[in-house]
Amino acid sequence: MLRYVLKRLVSLVISLAVASLVIFLAIEVVPGDPAAYMLGMNAQADTLAALREQLGLNGTILERYLSWVGGMLTGDFGTSYTYRTPVAEMISERLWISLPLALYALTLSTLIAFPAGVWAASRRGSAVDMGVMGVTQLGVAIPNFWFAMLMVLVFAINLRWFSAGGFAGWEQGIWPAMKSLTLPAIALALPQASILTRVMRSSLLDTLSEDFIRTARAKGLTRRQVLWRHALRNAMIPVLTIIGMQFSFLMAGAIIIENVFFLPGLGRLVFQAISARDLIVVESVVMLLVFAVIVVNFAVDVAYAAVDPRLRGRR
Amino acid sequence: MTLLQIEGLNLAIHDYPILHDVSFTVAPGQIVGVIGESGSGKSMTALAVMRLLPDGARATGRVILDGQDVVHLSEPELCGMRGRVMGMVFQEPMTALNPIQSIGDQVAETILVHERVSRAEAMERARVALARVELPEDRFPLTRYPHELSGGQRQRVVIAMAIALRPKLLIADEPTTALDVTTQAQILILLKRLVQEDGMGLLMISHDLAVVADMADHLVIMRHGRVVEAGPSPALFHRMQHPYSKALLAASTHQPDRAAQPQDTPLLQVQGVIRDYATARRGIWGKPGTFRAVDDVSFQIRRGESLGLVGESGCGKSTLTRAILGLEEVQGGTIQLDGQPVFTGHKPNRAVRRRMQVVFQDPYGSFNPRHRVDRLVSEPFHLLDTPPQGTARDAAIAEALESVGLTPEDRHKYIHEFSGGQRQRIAIARALIIKPDLIILDEAVSALDVSIRAQILDLLADLGDRLGLTYLFISHDLSVVKQVTDRVLVMQAGKIVEQGVTADVFAAPSHPYTRQLLAATPRLPEFENT
Repeated sequence: MLRYVLKRLVSLVISLAVASLVIFLAIEVVPGDPAAYMLGMNAQADTLAALREQLGLNGTILERYLSWVGGMLTGDFGTSYTYRTPVAEMISERLWISLPLALYALTLSTLIAFPAGVWAASRRGSAVDMGVMGVTQLGVAIPNFWFAMLMVLVFAINLRWFSAGGFAGWEQGIWPAMKSLTLPAIALALPQASILTRVMRSSLLDTLSEDFIRTARAKGLTRRQVLWRHALRNAMIPVLTIIGMQFSFLMAGAIIIENVFFLPGLGRLVFQAISARDLIVVESVVMLLVFAVIVVNFAVDVAYAAVDPRLRGRR
Repeated sequence: MTLLQIEGLNLAIHDYPILHDVSFTVAPGQIVGVIGESGSGKSMTALAVMRLLPDGARATGRVILDGQDVVHLSEPELCGMRGRVMGMVFQEPMTALNPIQSIGDQVAETILVHERVSRAEAMERARVALARVELPEDRFPLTRYPHELSGGQRQRVVIAMAIALRPKLLIADEPTTALDVTTQAQILILLKRLVQEDGMGLLMISHDLAVVADMADHLVIMRHGRVVEAGPSPALFHRMQHPYSKALLAASTHQPDRAAQPQDTPLLQVQGVIRDYATARRGIWGKPGTFRAVDDVSFQIRRGESLGLVGESGCGKSTLTRAILGLEEVQGGTIQLDGQPVFTGHKPNRAVRRRMQVVFQDPYGSFNPRHRVDRLVSEPFHLLDTPPQGTARDAAIAEALESVGLTPEDRHKYIHEFSGGQRQRIAIARALIIKPDLIILDEAVSALDVSIRAQILDLLADLGDRLGLTYLFISHDLSVVKQVTDRVLVMQAGKIVEQGVTADVFAAPSHPYTRQLLAATPRLPEFENT
């Protein structure tokens, strides 16, 4: 098991290094000089040169790459071109919204999907199964921004249970902050839960038709015991894969929902930075997201091994 | 005294009748063999006793086990009996165990489900059960997972689970079909021993007459969901009345007529062939090791000859096949067909490749289900520089299909419209279409029922005579190899340990491994073939 984790760690570091290089090069080849863009059409040549110097745009590609990576490793993400504030500060501020929102939505989605998937699979072909399949079909099909607007109408405007948007801030305490994240989290969780329910159901059904399930039944286990003791853990591998992918998506993919609810999250930050050609911010946020995806994949890999002894290697 | 009494058992799945009026009995300590081909209802009979039938199945009649009528028991009552009064062992040991639970946990579960005992006590009894099936704890700790065991060892674990509570009836559904002959012999001996020790009844289901004939006290022959004949073994073999029983017996020992004599010119020459595989590296910066799958193998096949290659799984048979076909490059030695190398440089030689074709074991998996038969059969045309077009192509397809006993109209059908035997005919047609010199039959009849197998063997013999084909017949089944080959090679751990004229090798094997294989091969009792 330890060897397996070590191996995965090595591959994590390699992936990060490759990803950083790709992101850096991709930004490098984007046409347009950020300094020229910031100073406008009528900039003087010497002012431009001074700004380029200040932004660290001079030097060879290798020097700039190394100083960028070195900076990130020491927590220095550089300074935003447009806001003139440290990027690290901007990101951490946004992360305190995006990360809890992603975790909140993922928790909701998992809490819905597990029981629903198991319930549907254990009563395959019944009214329950068809009902779950129908609802999840709808959940996948409904655009989440439309559902979000509907929830704002019902719960914020009519019932006045929640505010229609904005973020209360963590300094107000956990409850107000969580409350302002609730509607966005539900909107994000709906399609994710629908997909996860379907994956859970089909994976469980596949597992229930395996030979070892019949063997377990021949030992005298009831259908229910077979489901809980033998099928569920074996059915987890595809489910874990999807959960990992969903988390990665929720970190950055929440941009539409962030806009609907006026949440200052990472998605909006990167959107604004791209339109303002604030490449340092774009670069840093993208790197952060890649980091999150790679770390989540690592966690999923370790979870696979915890579930399945075959992945831990021979003794 | 009877332990299991099946009386007038009928079974239908979604109103489609499967079993008709099946009746037989099993006494304590008795081994009853149920024999039949696929679709005979033998497995369904077993599942009906366990009441582990597929959804939509409805059984009527009486299945009295240990004084209780299983047909009318409730599900909770059945759960109380399964594993305690009746245990079951299945065909496929590789998938019959939960891959993520240790073997100790899985055996102990049988005990924990039925008895209120501590986990420690259940584990202790699991240890005893595993020791009884010859998996002693010092070599096979209870913490082992199924993937760390071989097929035979896994089957022992399944048996341990089934006998942990010393049930009165053990049902074994093709328990050795997926295993090598030597492993099969060991498992059969084990089952016999357990029956004697515990005095339990054993209901053993098999398609293989010879396996059951060796074991059973009583035989039941089934066909199309009915019992056609039953009686004590081996006496039944001498007194068989029903034409189907006789046909089954005849097919099991069928000897096709082969007229063609091999010529003296060699067709395929294999000289000192070595095939190494890279194994996993040791550590992240370690060097990959090598595994020698084929080790200095040399032999010849003469034109018109039928050469057998036998050996157990993992001995290198299939690797050697791929090397001969030019699918993989070898690390040493030469392979030549009619003096032409199979590989020139690092490229397979097309001119040689088009003169060899192969037929694989699985008549279901070796065809693309979305292509029609004409496209499937004409696949080898890509080996030709100028493949026939239009009517020439049609004529070639028709000829190939007709030569294997199908009609030219079958070309428009899809593969799912054919039975297993017909599919194997299509596979042979596909091999024949470019008129090869050598056909490699890689376990080509192993998945077929005995009566179908006899027909395919006849077809191959007939084609060999008519078209002057040369065969390399690869099989784990020694009895089939004995019937259809002129000479035989015995392979063990990548090496050819014995080769010679088939009749001589079978009559007087010189290598200990050959003797071991032959001793393990189940044999039908001597009988008068009328």
